[in-house]
This record gives sequence, C-alpha cells and structure tokens, in this order.
Amino acid sequence: MTPIVAIARNTVREAVRERIALVAVAFGAALVAASQVLSPLALGVGPKIVTDFGLAGSSLLATLLAITLGSTLLHKELERRTVYAIMAKPIRRAEFLLGKFGGLWATSAGLLLLMSLMVMALVGLGYREAPWVLTGSILLTLIELGIVTAFVVFYSSFTTPGLTAFFAAASVLAGHFADDLLYFGKQGGSRALEIATTVVYWVLPHLTLFNARGLVSHGEPVPPERILFAASYGILYLGALLVAACAIWDRRELR
Amino acid sequence: MTPTSGPARPAPARPAADSAMRAVEPLSLLTLAGVTKSYRDPMTLRSFTAVEDVGFTLERGEIFGLLGPNGAGKTTTIKMILGLVRPTRGTIRLDGRDPHDPRARKKLGYLPESPCFYDHLTAAEYLGLVGDLFQIDPAVVKRRSGALLERLGLAGHARKPLRKYSKGMTQRLGLAQALLNEPTLLILDEPMSGLDPIGRAEVKQILRDERSRGATVLLSSHVLAETEAICDRVGILSGGRLLESGSVTGLLAGGVREWEVVVDGIKPGGLADLEALGFRPVGVGAHQVIRVAEGNALQELLGHLVRSGAFVHAVEPRRETLEEHFLKALEGTARSPKGDA
Repeated sequence: MTPIVAIARNTVREAVRERIALVAVAFGAALVAASQVLSPLALGVGPKIVTDFGLAGSSLLATLLAITLGSTLLHKELERRTVYAIMAKPIRRAEFLLGKFGGLWATSAGLLLLMSLMVMALVGLGYREAPWVLTGSILLTLIELGIVTAFVVFYSSFTTPGLTAFFAAASVLAGHFADDLLYFGKQGGSRALEIATTVVYWVLPHLTLFNARGLVSHGEPVPPERILFAASYGILYLGALLVAACAIWDRRELR
Repeated sequence: MTPTSGPARPAPARPAADSAMRAVEPLSLLTLAGVTKSYRDPMTLRSFTAVEDVGFTLERGEIFGLLGPNGAGKTTTIKMILGLVRPTRGTIRLDGRDPHDPRARKKLGYLPESPCFYDHLTAAEYLGLVGDLFQIDPAVVKRRSGALLERLGLAGHARKPLRKYSKGMTQRLGLAQALLNEPTLLILDEPMSGLDPIGRAEVKQILRDERSRGATVLLSSHVLAETEAICDRVGILSGGRLLESGSVTGLLAGGVREWEVVVDGIKPGGLADLEALGFRPVGVGAHQVIRVAEGNALQELLGHLVRSGAFVHAVEPRRETLEEHFLKALEGTARSPKGDA
C-alpha cells in the first residue's frame, strides 16, 4: 500500500468511526418522509420533486460534510501532535496532504453515493421511473465535491479551521454565481470593473457546470460529452488547488 | 560523538588513492554542522534563537544522550534532524542525505516527546498504518507488531482503542512504532517520560538490546541518573548552545571526588580524637561515616583507625555523577534561550 493510500484509508476510518453514516440515515428518513408529504401535492410531478429535492439535498449535505470535516483536517493533526510521528516516516509532505485529500473526498463521496442510492431507490421503487437517468448528475456532483474538498485542503494548509470553513463555503457559493458576476461586471459600465470581474470569473470554479439536476429531474440523461468536459475541467481545477496546497504545506514549519 | 563548531568547511582535494579509501569508509549516521534555528514572533517581529551553532557527529552503534534543562533546544534540534523544522543556518546530514529527503528516514525510528497517536485506532491498526508508511510487507508488519507488543507488555491491549490507553501505555506504543522498521537510528525524545520504574528498566534494556543489534540511539532527557546508566556519550545543551560533549567516562574523568569510610567499634574518646585531627564522624545507624576529600587525609585517617583498634567496614570512593557534572556545566550560563532583536 502506498503512503497516500494509507493516509487516505486512515482519514476515512476516522470519519467512519465518528459515525458520519448517521447523517445518511437521517437524510434517508427525511427523504422518505418528505416524499410522502409532497407527493399528494405534486399533481403528477412527484418523481421530479423527489429527484430535485433528493439530489440537491444530498449534494448540500455532502458539501457541508466535506467543509466541516475538512476544516479541522490538518489543524487537529498539529494540535494533537499526531503529525510528528507520521512525518518522521519516509513520506513526503505532499503525500500526506494528498492522502488527507483522498480520504476526505472518499468519505464525502461515499456519503453522497449512499444518499444518491436512496434517491434512486425511491424514484425506481416508489414511482416506477428509470433511476439510472440520475447517474450522470450524481457523477458530476462527485467531481464538484472533489473541487470543494480541494478548496478545503488548500485553505487548511495555511489557515485556521474557522477561516478554512468560511473561505471554502464562500468559494463554493461564489463558484455557483460566477456567471452572474460576469454579467454584473458587463452591466456596470466601468471598463475596470469589467476586467476585474472577468479575472475573478476565470479564477473562480465554474460550479454550475456540475449542476445537471434540472435535466435529470425531467427524465433527460446528461450527455456524455458534457460529463467528459466537466470532468476534465474539474480535475484540472482541483489539481491546481492541490499543487498550491502542497507547495504551502511543504514550506510549513511543524513546530 | 565529535563536536564541531561553525558551518562545514569544504574538504580539501584528496589524492585518488585516498578518495578510494574514503569510498569504503562508513558514513557518519548523523552530522550537524553550525546548526542554528531562529524564529520571528509574528506580532512583535522580535527574533528568538532556539538553537545556536550546534554541531556534532553521531557514529554507528552508540547511545548518545542530548541533555539539557527545559527550553534548552533539545526538541528543536531533534525536529530539525527529522526535517520537521528547517534550520535557519547550518547543515544536517541524516545517513548522508538532507532530512527532507524521505529516503533519509527509511531506517529511522522516532518517539516524540509525550507522544499522541490517532485515538480512533487500536495499537494493532496503528502499527499497521506505520508499516504501510514504511511500505513493509503486511505479513512482516503483523509478525513484528505481535513481537513488539508482547515485548512492551501491550499484547493484551492490541485491540483496545488508543483513546483508552494510559500515558505509560501510549509511551510503550510509541516505542513499538519507533522500532517497527528495525531502525539503524533511533531518535527518542524523553523516552522515560510517563513510565514507572519497571517500565524505565524495560526501556533501558530495550535500548541496550538495540545497541547490541547495531542500532544507534539518540535520546534527549533531563532524567540524568537514567541517562548516565545507558549512554556512551552525551552532549549538554543550554540556552540553545552545546556547552559540552563527549563520552560519559571522559566527562566524569575528574575521578574520585571524596572517600567515604565506614567505621565501627571506635573506643571511648576515639570520636574526640578524630575530631581533634580534623575529621568529622557522622553516626549512620550502628556505624560512623567519615568523609575525606584527599588521598593523604585518607591515609592518615586509616592509619589512625587501625592504630586505635577501630573496625573499618568499607572505604568507598565517591565519583562525580552526571547530574553533578551537568549542574556544574550549567553554572554561569543563561538557562533561558536568547532573544537577539
């Protein structure tokens, strides 16, 4: 087993033993309860509402989990001094950080998949609709979750848990409104503002690219070329964040 | 240990034959030359020197004690050796490599001061993780883990979560994880901390066993009586500076400090005679104990005792202990690290 996989496995194990799966159980119960309440009011569009509500809810919960678990990721290691014994082993600092990223992504992705399976089961069994249409949207959300996790790891490599959570949440929120920012910059009438908003637009992650929930809730599958493009963009974006995080973490003094 | 001072100088050119000889010489396991570490307070911007111009070389197969009071710079020095902290000046070579190179730590075992491990894991799982980081075959890890936990008295607690471990048990696990890769260099920061007398004796035996196996041990401690019994060489750090270094016997070569003569059966009036000669007998149980500082005085005392018919039970030379030497070395030096703003 490589050091990255070993660190990742330990990160997952820690999260699992903190009983984060209970979040998925609570989500499942809430989903079933909500579908029972909303279906009679939906006037024939019950599957659409359940799909929309279920996929958005699972994405939000997984994102919140990645931010809350990840914001203390490195801080806890330094505060409890567990990192000293680990970093004295023959591993690179970058390997440690990538292992932490991998473990956090795997944990939040596992939770997302668990919750998504519940949505698919409800759509398939409860409404007799084809649940596999949802897979494209779930895949895109998994990639988005990778970007969120990379943001958390990036901020936690140099700042406190509180600021990490704040910056990561702000980055995710801004990433969902990147197109609006560009639009407002163009409408502002100032050339400087337009340039500034354009720069910020290109720096921010284009998270709307990963939102195909509207499409699948109408029973339309996500085109493979969109998944391919979004995956390429997502991997490049999170890769750049991780390179920056590793460079910062590598220079950090473990006093 | 060979003390050095200042940065390493470039080696002069050597003839080809000499270079060939050097190629087969074993490299020093650890070399520090002119190592300094300063920190800057982010609020006041004042500079703080934790370690200053420390240099020494550690040869293979010895137990070396890095001694000093709290705040002397022992842990900072160790963290620089491990690559956790970068020196501000100077060079460190661990098995001939920069400590930041993971290959330099391949055969290194490290026990941190007051160690803390992942409390969601059991001892067996933690040792498994350590084995994975060293990329040791899982079957070998399992075998070595079992043997180490048995040796350290933790075999019955291998499946217990580490959050339920006492301080002493955590310290023992720390030693187990440091020994898992069968290291050639073992760095132990306060290894006796948190252990009861039995645990300390076991640790000392383990360190002796490791030395017999060929491992080199660098340990930091302020428990000097323990250190004196196991270290081949010591270095005394104070205020970030290496005050003194050398073999324990070399440092304590001042020889006999005084003699303690244990006497019995002194006749009536004998005590007054001894006091008149300048000796001061002290009653200890049924015996009288007389301490003399010089050899001539000892000869005179023994002659007098024999002539007076007293029974001499024992004549014991008292040597300087490492603790006494350590306190002497610290006299006149600042105990706190320096600020050089």
